[in-house]
Amino acid sequence: MRETFTKGMARNIYYGGGVFFFLVLIGLTVDTVKGLPATDNSENITEQVAAGKRLWEINDCIGCHSLLGEGAYFAPELGNVYTRFGESTEAIKAFIKYRPVDGVKGRRSMPQFNLTDEELEEIAQFLKYVDGIKTARNWPPNIQG
Amino acid sequence: MKPDEIQLKQASRATLYSLLNLTMLPIVGFISLCLLYRKTTSNTIDRYYVLLGIKTNLYAAAALFLVTALMIFMGGFESPWTWVYVISYFVFVHALFILFATWSMVRSWTGEKLKRSFLSK
Amino acid sequence: MMKYESQGIAKMYFIAAIGLFLGQILFGIIMGLQYVMGDFLFPEIPFNVARMVHTNLLIVWLLFGFMGSAYFLVPEEAERELYAPWLAKLMFWIFLVAGVLTILGYLLVPYAKLAEITMNDLLPTMGREFLEQPTITKIGIVIVVLAFIFNIGMTVLSGRKTVINLVLLTGLVGLAVFFLFSFYNPDNLVLDKYFWWFVVHLWVEGVWELIMASLLAYVLIKVTGVDREVIEKWLYLIVGMALISGLIGTGHHFFWIGTPDYWQWLGSIFSALEPIPFFMMTLFAFNVVNKRRRDHPNKAAVLWALGTGVMAFLGAGVWGFLHTLAPINFYTHGTQITAAHGHMAFYGAYVMVVLTMISYSMPIMRGQKAANERAQVFEMWSFWMMTVAMVFITLFLTGAGILQVYLQRYSENPESFMVVQDKVAMFYWMRELAGLVFLAGLLLYIYSFFAKGKEVEFVEE
Ligand code: HEM
Ligand code: HEM
Ligand SMILES: [Fe+2]
Repeated sequence: MRETFTKGMARNIYYGGGVFFFLVLIGLTVDTVKGLPATDNSENITEQVAAGKRLWEINDCIGCHSLLGEGAYFAPELGNVYTRFGESTEAIKAFIKYRPVDGVKGRRSMPQFNLTDEELEEIAQFLKYVDGIKTARNWPPNIQG
Repeated sequence: MKPDEIQLKQASRATLYSLLNLTMLPIVGFISLCLLYRKTTSNTIDRYYVLLGIKTNLYAAAALFLVTALMIFMGGFESPWTWVYVISYFVFVHALFILFATWSMVRSWTGEKLKRSFLSK
Repeated sequence: MMKYESQGIAKMYFIAAIGLFLGQILFGIIMGLQYVMGDFLFPEIPFNVARMVHTNLLIVWLLFGFMGSAYFLVPEEAERELYAPWLAKLMFWIFLVAGVLTILGYLLVPYAKLAEITMNDLLPTMGREFLEQPTITKIGIVIVVLAFIFNIGMTVLSGRKTVINLVLLTGLVGLAVFFLFSFYNPDNLVLDKYFWWFVVHLWVEGVWELIMASLLAYVLIKVTGVDREVIEKWLYLIVGMALISGLIGTGHHFFWIGTPDYWQWLGSIFSALEPIPFFMMTLFAFNVVNKRRRDHPNKAAVLWALGTGVMAFLGAGVWGFLHTLAPINFYTHGTQITAAHGHMAFYGAYVMVVLTMISYSMPIMRGQKAANERAQVFEMWSFWMMTVAMVFITLFLTGAGILQVYLQRYSENPESFMVVQDKVAMFYWMRELAGLVFLAGLLLYIYSFFAKGKEVEFVEE
């Protein structure tokens, strides 16, 4: 490195650049959060949906599935499962409800979570809400997720 | 013979152009290398690195574009398997060339050839 | 041969780290098998449980590694004993017990039950990727990390303030601060996801890079004898570039989660710059080793340091760039391409930098300048086995990912997820084989600490 480029200059790039772009990130975050209601489908977050999100979490569904492309890659994307299942919460509920306890031989299987009918409804409503989030370019690229 | 200041500068410029040609400025980097060639004389460290850069980039062009084109030609544009090979191969081998050019650059900074030559030292 | 007695505390941290590393890999192997033999260990250890064990062990052992590294390096740089050695020892046991209990909790009771036992309802934070720990464990982590930073901070601030120490300290403070976002879990999924990345991305592509670069700089000074001024200038530039590119680079995660469209531009442009700091680390390691003033007897440590430079660039820089532009990420988002990148980046950057520190410091803590020749040969073999295995794991997952993208997302007649998974099974088998080689390499690595042989010769400076 050239001698004209001093350590002091390098230090200023570090502290200056770090602070500056951190502030920019905060600014963009404020703007993003303000603009979210246009896309985030928050008007449809009912108590049922909120309870569904909690169920989604405490059963660690994200440990196998992805949701809007984030999570695990062992089982299908669920951000658009409501659409994929013919816009039927009943189909979603039935699928979760009738998973065999011991799985399917030789295949990847989803556990039997023993959810009550009420809980099944909450999870299904949550997935329906997620499907309503307006993602850019309507991600995922197609119905298969 | 110890390289002088200008030769050292040109040597590190040569390796930089070579690296740029492999990354952000393809073609531009290569042309710069060729232009730099004319400023060097034989048996000097800068000539050595200009030639190394030119060779590296020619090999890279062959290894990346020729082989890739061959893969596409043989596998067919429509087959997903073609892309499995082409993308993995291209990314990995490209990265290896970049790493090689980086090591060359570091060597040129200390005015040494790629390999330590025990005779001249 | 340690300059300060309290540096020796690092040893227990490193031993724990390596033990948990082994656990991580065993669960990786289990999952790798579940990918191709779906009913393996079902329903006893479902995939999601194995996965949280795998990833949480990774994070916890890396934290052990960072802490151990800091305890070794900071006193020497600050030229004084650690502020409170007893606190470091106490925190070690708290962290280890909390970590082990949490992992046992994952394995022994259903996750929903664990949530109930630990009263997740009071402050629900569980069940998000990488942040699966019960809230109480998260609070424990915060306490341990704060005590650690206090200890390190007091040592740094009352001692010689080197650039390495200051950069390390900012990195550690950042680690603690950004972890606090793990307690924020709104019902609004988009908000939840947005701030989830403040932990995950701002860790691995932000503050952890500061930690990594300062550890690397420290070891390079030690093994090459190159002038501190030169190294410090590099260090500042690397971490400067890391923040300049990485902070707004967070936007590469805000393409498709319901966030505004402008992130496609910002995220693509800034994250396209993110390979630069990783490239600079390669350049830095190459340059400093090339200019070395001495041949250090610990050849293994030099190999690890160079390997970190190269593999971090490949995993984070090259494999990150591969899918970071929005038009490409549209197709690759959340596929095996992501997994390929995640593996090589974590290994190349953070696993390897911790192993570099261990390689350099462990012999010193055991009273030698370097391990004996035979031990070093084993260690270097283990380096190659693990590293080459990781390259193959990455390549196989990349192959699987490309096919997956093509068949499931790109093709005119997209096929369903599970159908495609069957079609790419061959790649998963090969990944599993490479994983077994990785495991063998790790076992050899562990063995190298016990190998006896001829002591290395060196001239004392
Ligand atoms: C050596 C054998 C290994 C095997 C067979 C293995 C296997 C796996 C599998 C199957 C997953 C889950 C992918 C999914 O969600 O579907 C995973 C995730 C993960 N593993 Fe490993 N792993 C291994 C080693 C490692 C190592 C050495 C590291 C760290 C350096 C690592 C870090 C990770 C990370 C960060 C994830 C989460 C990835 C993501 O979310 O994209 N693994 N691993
Ligand atoms: C050492 C540094 C890095 C580590 C440890 C790392 C690790 C990871 C991991 C584990 C994920 C998966 C997260 C999830 O589970 O959803 C991920 C995602 C991603 N990383 Fe990195 N990364 C690093 C650096 C980079 C860099 C430098 C770039 C860009 C040049 C990059 C680009 C991306 C992108 C675009 C994704 C999202 C993939 C998707 O859409 O599914 N990463 N990274
Ligand atoms: Fe990221």
